[in-house]
Amino acid sequence: MVSYPTPPSGPTMAIASDNQTWTIALIGNPNTGKSTLFGALSGSRQRVGNYPGVTVEKKLGEVVHDGRRWVLVDLPGTYSLAARSLDEMVAVDVLLGRRSDVQTPDVVVCVVAASNLARNLYLLSQVLELGRPVVVALSMGDLAEADGLTIDAARLSRQLGVPVVPIQAQRGEGLEALKQAVEEAGSKPAPTVASPFPAPFREEVDRLSATLASAPPRYLIERLLLDSGSEVKAQIAPGESDRAQLQQQVDDARVRLAEAGCRVPGVETTARYAWIARATEGVVEHPEHAVSRSADRLDAILTHKVWGSLILAAVLLLTFSAVFAWAQYPMDWIDAGFAAVSSFLEESMPDGPIRSLLVKGVVGGIGAVVIFLPQIFILFFILTALEECGYLSRAAYLMDKIMVRVGLSGKSFIPLLSSFACAIPGIMATRVIENRRDRLTTILIAPLMSCSARLPVYTLMIAAFIPARSYLGGLIQLQGLTMFAMYMVGVVVAAAVALILKRTLLRSATPVFLMEMPAYQWPSPRVILHRMLERGWDFLQNAGTIIFAVSIVMWGALYYPRISPEELKPLLVEKARIEAELDDANAANDAPRAESLTAALDGIGHRMDGEQERRSFLGRAGKVIEPVVRPLGWDWRIGSAVLASFPAREVVVATMGVIFDVGEDVDEGEGAQRLTGALQAATWPDTGKPLFNVPVALSVMVFFALCAQCVSTLAVIGRETQSWVWPTLSFTYMTVLAYIGAFLVYQLGMLFV
Amino acid sequence: MIPLSLLGVGETASVGDVVGDVDLVHRLREMGLYNGARVKMIRPGSPCIIGLDGHRLGFRGDDLARVLVHVAAHAIAV
Repeated sequence: MVSYPTPPSGPTMAIASDNQTWTIALIGNPNTGKSTLFGALSGSRQRVGNYPGVTVEKKLGEVVHDGRRWVLVDLPGTYSLAARSLDEMVAVDVLLGRRSDVQTPDVVVCVVAASNLARNLYLLSQVLELGRPVVVALSMGDLAEADGLTIDAARLSRQLGVPVVPIQAQRGEGLEALKQAVEEAGSKPAPTVASPFPAPFREEVDRLSATLASAPPRYLIERLLLDSGSEVKAQIAPGESDRAQLQQQVDDARVRLAEAGCRVPGVETTARYAWIARATEGVVEHPEHAVSRSADRLDAILTHKVWGSLILAAVLLLTFSAVFAWAQYPMDWIDAGFAAVSSFLEESMPDGPIRSLLVKGVVGGIGAVVIFLPQIFILFFILTALEECGYLSRAAYLMDKIMVRVGLSGKSFIPLLSSFACAIPGIMATRVIENRRDRLTTILIAPLMSCSARLPVYTLMIAAFIPARSYLGGLIQLQGLTMFAMYMVGVVVAAAVALILKRTLLRSATPVFLMEMPAYQWPSPRVILHRMLERGWDFLQNAGTIIFAVSIVMWGALYYPRISPEELKPLLVEKARIEAELDDANAANDAPRAESLTAALDGIGHRMDGEQERRSFLGRAGKVIEPVVRPLGWDWRIGSAVLASFPAREVVVATMGVIFDVGEDVDEGEGAQRLTGALQAATWPDTGKPLFNVPVALSVMVFFALCAQCVSTLAVIGRETQSWVWPTLSFTYMTVLAYIGAFLVYQLGMLFV
Repeated sequence: MIPLSLLGVGETASVGDVVGDVDLVHRLREMGLYNGARVKMIRPGSPCIIGLDGHRLGFRGDDLARVLVHVAAHAIAV
């Protein structure tokens, strides 16, 4: 068994693999079918997580070949191992065996797209320098075949000095040959590959290597010389003075290299592409007349200024209607399921804090999270399908023209699009944005996109207070228009915020747009389903744990302190009176009277609950903040409902149900109607005027459109930015904007009422 | 050499100098805009779409990076 000499020192040294388990690393450019190959090799035996300490996705799979267990490590897709970003640094560390959580790979499988050999071999040329046994999986996409491209794999293998196996992962072709090649490569020592760099550069690497006591792998020293913002330096020279000294040496070496005509970093691309030209000589045969023109025809329409934009608008419209329409049924089922569990618990347990905790805290909390799963699944199903078939990059291309106006590039479009379902996956999708300032700007505006959690609030307020008028002969519905306006409020404010951020706190030039437009292809169902489940699981983990915990805290704040029976006496006396009358009515077989008494009894129960809410910690807090929310047209009840929804916006509907004495099952049809009625009937105690009118309803909606009432989003921002500054900033600026927006809407609205 | 942006639809050329921000130039080179790479203009404008050795890139360099190309005398629209 090969055991690569691990670096003699270094904080994260890997343990050598044992004889039974091999570690196989999978690396390749984006859009090469690497995920498809990973899925085809490992099937359902996959685990997804994060590399500890960084937010880089760690995908592990398992393959059993000839009785040997292989651990497959799918590294993030990358065009280069330049160690500029965390993704690239993690890939380099895994390949060199410098991470304690992944064993040094016994074989590296480099996926190379046949249709696009030169650029793909650039990454291979870097991989070869890492000194591990390498197998090239030559991915024959549909495109390469349709183009009539022929590649002499045997000759390529000879010229590269490593085995080359043609594969068609989607159809499962070539997988056995690939496994066989991996087996053989792993049983032999790694081939020595001549450095592609010119002599002066190699000498500088030698010289630098000799001065470093820690003797890092040669590849890292090359990176040190080549990359300006390298992640390597901090690893090699941990001390402050060491780092300054190292920087001096690197600077001197670069000056000498420039004099020798090997200016960095240009020398790398020149040297590697020269090596690629030699390695691919006589390998590729293009047909006289290229066959495939379907991609050209598609792009002529899909990226057209007018037609392309119209198609994009239609795709977005269909996506959103699908998310809302298709999700309705599973959401109703989930709701009914949780309602059934709640009522089972209520019937089978005695009244008291434990039952209340279970029903309102635990079941209610989990239900509030799980209910959004269908929308997330559907959105990611559609987004992944669009991405896999190559359309999403074209959408980003079209949107670039608009995004540059707010100082961002088309790359920010996809994360923002995801944020309409949920800001959490949206924020995670910003990882593709190279520039830190652009990425932060995108992260900060992503929560302004109206996510699915705002929908219950909009729906409730619109149903209760916006008249069902229509204009232009029913073409425009006032209610639908209001809903659309709420979405636009978020988009317009996000654009303004991006503009301001890019001119102040995160000042930087408009980023360059550089994005591969992958070949159009049919999406692989396996990849789509996996991604969908992955994202759903991510959501459950991120959002679930936090919403769950805070739901329990909020339950406590609404449940305690309990009111003593003396304080409830008037209501209890009333209840006893009605119960007695009900008994009489039942005895007299007076059904209509019994029915109205039962309703009255329910009403008393709700009033008792309401009294309890008002006296609870949360109700008292609502009273305290009333002066603050008064200018928005809110009373303490709306104020405390908003306070209670700090962990998650959707909580507000349930909390309003409790506070306005309707009972809590307000998401169900009848309950929702009752809540609508209760809201319409609510009055100011001092004046007796209705509490809600159109400006108040709009002020509540605008507040929710702009506020940052979502602990999970804030937590994800903290995790992705590795700092508490950005979540704090998000929360502060969004809350201030929400307050100002609600204030303006209410005060202006009152002028017209 | 002429700027890439001057190529018309379907015109091909070969990549020459790429000038601008050092890191960005390096990234462009890594993405396949190496010296001598054949580039075909698929959709001109800002951003443009170019075809490069079997793949396509959406690209807008603005002032940060400029790609210069050689138009060979015998180059014909493919």
